[in-house]
Amino acid sequence: MRRSTVTAVLATFAAMAFAVVPFAAAQKPSIFGIWLGIGRNSPNFQKWKNKPNTPAPEFTAWGAQQSREQGRLGVELPTPGACEPVNPAMFVGGGLFPNQILDGGNQIVLLNEWVAVPRRIYTDGRKHPPAEDLVPTWEGHSIGHWEGDTLVVDTVGLNGRTRPLNGYFANAVNATPESLTVPRLPSSDQMHLVERFRLVGNGDILEVTRTITDPKAYLHRFSNTVYLERRPDLDVEEYYCSDNMRSKDEGH
Amino acid sequence: MTRVFRASAAAALLLSGSAASAHHSFAMFDLGKNVTVEAVVKEVQFTNPHVWLQILVADGKGGQTEWSIESGARGMMLRNGWKPTTLKPGDKVTLTMHPLKDGSPGGSLVSVKVPDGRTLGSGAAN
Repeated sequence: MRRSTVTAVLATFAAMAFAVVPFAAAQKPSIFGIWLGIGRNSPNFQKWKNKPNTPAPEFTAWGAQQSREQGRLGVELPTPGACEPVNPAMFVGGGLFPNQILDGGNQIVLLNEWVAVPRRIYTDGRKHPPAEDLVPTWEGHSIGHWEGDTLVVDTVGLNGRTRPLNGYFANAVNATPESLTVPRLPSSDQMHLVERFRLVGNGDILEVTRTITDPKAYLHRFSNTVYLERRPDLDVEEYYCSDNMRSKDEGH
Repeated sequence: MTRVFRASAAAALLLSGSAASAHHSFAMFDLGKNVTVEAVVKEVQFTNPHVWLQILVADGKGGQTEWSIESGARGMMLRNGWKPTTLKPGDKVTLTMHPLKDGSPGGSLVSVKVPDGRTLGSGAAN
């Protein structure tokens, strides 16, 4: 009787294991889908707070000069190239425009509604091209691999022409008097970006930690973390920035 | 507040059409100041990078001044309750904006009470 009870319990556990494990594996959430930075009105806002740059960025002489110049743009001077693609370090995140992450076979494709070009993260094991073959681009050359549940993306080959890493806030619809005084964070063609994408919060929150190394602009590397929430209810709208350019430096 | 605008309305009328291209960024708006006007919608440009509302505001002299109100990106607006037909020419609205610093007849949208009773913003605050 006792033995049969134990056997029955074991059998039940075994059945549960067989039933549960494959189900859990099948239900393992993926990073693919539509994501939006967590806004103030979201119930997730209090729990998943973006983490600012740590340690605080320290400029080289070149970086400090660039920062000063960029701080004047949009405030004292017209903002140049506001429709140009943003730096990959600010591609993912933000609460105004959704991101879409797609399975592209040998690559993961990142889209953002307000950015004209996609980011292509090659996951087929290739390396970055040799430095002499690397074509400088807005989003650079990205390769990715999985470390457990974390997608690690390595990006080099940037053209150094993007807006600051924290944007031209003066050109943003949600600009405030305070935001206009925040030092701009420039970047150069020597920037090296490492991003770590990981699902947290039952798979409906995407954590992206970004580590920036740019010896031309900064004395040391620094990192920040942004959180996005899964938003299958949203459509990614068309955003052709030059549709109605009433002011030549618009677009954000 | 509306009175401030009326004072510059005559000059603004002459600038009609050029005011929008005269500013260079949202720093040109007085972001610390909110001004509310009663207006009639003249035109809605439901476009990117920004939606524009062209509105007519009484100038206090029996005439009207056209104001250019810059709002959010189209996608931002759609995700925050707007449709292309939410506002139509002829609609009467109460609209709050951050005015242009230079006194030209324009501003960036803070909120607008639309005919169906809702108060909608630019989509920038979520």
